Amino acid sequence: MTNAHPPDTGLDAQALARLRELDPDGRLGVVNRVLAAFETSVRRMVGQLQAQAQAETADAVLVSNIAHTLKSSSASVGALSLSRTCAEVEAKLRKGDTSGMHIDISRLISEGQAALIAVAAILRV
Amino acid sequence: MTPNHPFADESLAAPPEVLLVDDDEVNLLLTSLALRERGFKVTEAGSGEQALQVLREFAPDIIVLDAVMPDGLDGFDTCRMLRHMAGFESVPVLMLTGLDDDASITRAYEAGATDFYVKAAQWSLLAGRLHYLLRSSRIRIELERSRSKLARAQDLARMGSFDWGRAGGGLNLSPEALRVFGVGPNELVTLRSLLRMVPLDDRRGLLRQLHDALRHQSVLTTDVPITLLDGRQRIIHTEAEPQFNDHGQGAGYTGIVQDVTDRRQAEDKIRQLANFDSLTGLPNRRQLIWRAEKALEQARRMQHQFALLLIDLDRFKTINDTLGHGAGDELLVEVGRRLRSCVRHSDQVMEGTLEAAGVRSHRALEAVGRLGGDEFVALLPEVADDRDAERVAQRVLEALREPIFVSGQECFVTASVGVAIYPRDGETVVDLLRNSDVAMYSVKAQGRNNASIYSPQLAGRGREKLELETALHRAIERDELVLHYQPKIDVRASRMVGAEALMRWQRGGKLVPPGEFIPLAEDTGLIVPLSEWALREAAKQARNWQDAFGFDDSIAVNLPSRLFERSDLVEHIHQCVTQFGVPHRVIHLEITEDNLMKELQNVIPSLHRLNEIGVEISIDDFGTGYSSLAYLTTLPISELKIDRSFVRDLGITPQSSAVVTAIIALARSLGLRVVAEGVETLRQMEVLHRLGCGVMQGFLFSRAVPPDELQRWLEQTVLPRKAPWIGNAPAKRGDDEADTAVAAGRRQH
Repeated sequence: MTNAHPPDTGLDAQALARLRELDPDGRLGVVNRVLAAFETSVRRMVGQLQAQAQAETADAVLVSNIAHTLKSSSASVGALSLSRTCAEVEAKLRKGDTSGMHIDISRLISEGQAALIAVAAILRV
Repeated sequence: MTPNHPFADESLAAPPEVLLVDDDEVNLLLTSLALRERGFKVTEAGSGEQALQVLREFAPDIIVLDAVMPDGLDGFDTCRMLRHMAGFESVPVLMLTGLDDDASITRAYEAGATDFYVKAAQWSLLAGRLHYLLRSSRIRIELERSRSKLARAQDLARMGSFDWGRAGGGLNLSPEALRVFGVGPNELVTLRSLLRMVPLDDRRGLLRQLHDALRHQSVLTTDVPITLLDGRQRIIHTEAEPQFNDHGQGAGYTGIVQDVTDRRQAEDKIRQLANFDSLTGLPNRRQLIWRAEKALEQARRMQHQFALLLIDLDRFKTINDTLGHGAGDELLVEVGRRLRSCVRHSDQVMEGTLEAAGVRSHRALEAVGRLGGDEFVALLPEVADDRDAERVAQRVLEALREPIFVSGQECFVTASVGVAIYPRDGETVVDLLRNSDVAMYSVKAQGRNNASIYSPQLAGRGREKLELETALHRAIERDELVLHYQPKIDVRASRMVGAEALMRWQRGGKLVPPGEFIPLAEDTGLIVPLSEWALREAAKQARNWQDAFGFDDSIAVNLPSRLFERSDLVEHIHQCVTQFGVPHRVIHLEITEDNLMKELQNVIPSLHRLNEIGVEISIDDFGTGYSSLAYLTTLPISELKIDRSFVRDLGITPQSSAVVTAIIALARSLGLRVVAEGVETLRQMEVLHRLGCGVMQGFLFSRAVPPDELQRWLEQTVLPRKAPWIGNAPAKRGDDEADTAVAAGRRQH
């Protein structure tokens, strides 16, 4: 495998490149370890979001926290669209604005799933 | 691995240890990797709880905390809690926050975080921030250490620092400085409140000093006496130097205060020891001489006279010997106290203070001091004439008239005072001291307990004699005097029947013959203490010989008539024999014919009293003077000693045997024993014997020798009958009557 021309995976190439910089010769398997950790984390949180989507009233604090956590880790791995959505949702909920929370949860779930697919594409090449 | 960050501290031996706390695995992993890559040693914690757990057993150099951790403790709470853990009060904590999170930044500082960092993927920036925090933390630790060292050092030195701002800044004292003033760390202290601790008299001077320093923007160095609020007296050394602002104007002062009480006390003590006699508390020799030099300087400048009185106690040695040194010391203290009251005594005069005190300042030099032993000096810095000094001398004699109680006994002490006056009696302190000494000795010579002003006639005896005299005066104290003994021999029985004690002076390894110092001792009156010493020594020797070989005869001591005139002679002899447990008759006194006849009237009462207590008296050098035969018949004497000059000429000139024969006849008719002196040959011995004199002294038998030698001579020569003079005489035993008859017959021719 060569790092010179990474395949278009849906993850930001620059972010991935920065990850690779941490482990230039790939000896530590940094990219895979990080992506695996990200995958585990997103999968767990998507599950939590799906539970909220089916609940009578969603837990605004929980959703806000999930958005906060995913915001920075998704930015780190280059799932920029997910990161942006997280930032929007977190900021809105922090202000106490719970209007249209179900829609936000749905957006987070679908962005999360998109990111999972993108990560899987790299991990299982 | 990338090279070390430019901020990294090269001097560190081990890589810095980071505790990284983040609940997001992805971030934790990434940050940790990035930091390891940059030379940090990272310990990871996935939650605040886990971080606190880790800190129980591990002390990282720095802690990096994610601010928002939704599950459980967040970064703020974690930071707040770890700040309360021992050892983590000041460890640097970096709080990671989101870019859009102003509130978190404020909260981070409130929770005790050292700094905050906005999360970003630029790892080298984070590493740089960590290095910066580590370095500032290290500097802060060093600063704190050195500050506490300084505080401790200042505390130990009882020192503290302060600053004072001119423009309303007021006085700021360090906690150590507050302690110097005995004030708690939280009490309010103002310059005014400190000034109130200074006694009023000193406060005015201090205020003037402060104003002067301020006006001239000069350095202030002064020692200030203060009374602390609890009443303790301290001395505070203060040093302050002016501070200037950018325009060169005085902005205030900064400096230190130090409690120097102990040092000052030690200095005072040293000064006290160096200048004052520890027994009496009076100025010592050094201080006296210093004062005398000052007084002389002043007297020279102001053209007035000053006087030195040398006061020497009479017979102090006897008191010391009889009552013991403890009592002697007690007596000196009391004498010192009395002498002090005879002058306007000033205790404290120190260099520097004198000049400040003005024209009459030399008055402050007036004092009585102890020169050493039983010698005191009164220094009168200004006298109008001799009478001024004489008045003080009389006051001194008067002051000692009352008995002094020591060891439960009443002691009568007298003194001899010698006075020397500047400039007449000496231009230097040394001369004045010496001449007051001369005057003092002249008093001793004339019977003590008086005062005398120096006169050149006193010193006319010449320096050499003076030195000899001074040395002789000390000879008794230094045990330089010894008695040698010449045996008196009864030639008929070939045995010793007594001994004559003769004084010798061992001066610096040489034996000074009596001819060189006895006349001097007579002149100066030293003969009195010398004779008293000899009496005691003779009694002691009689005791020693009694113990050694059963000596039961008497030891003859030569006394000048002056001693017989003294009313205390009988008492003195009584004390001597009692002290050594020997009978009074072991002391035998010899007085020369000249001496006796000159002072006959004064001596007779003494002779009677001595006779009553069993002390016999012989007349020495008999035949050379003018005896009143009428008196001779009534005097209570026991023995005549034929002068050596007659003995020498025996068998050479007929006159000498005529005189000897006459003396023997006279003695016999008066019922007196007769002893011949200066017997050197067997022929002389035989002639004397034939003429009826059986008891002799002279080189033929033995010269005067130290006591042990005399004992040896007895044991090795007399008892084994080995001497040439033994064996000749016994043959004549029983011929006394015939000899006397022959002598008488010759005289008739």
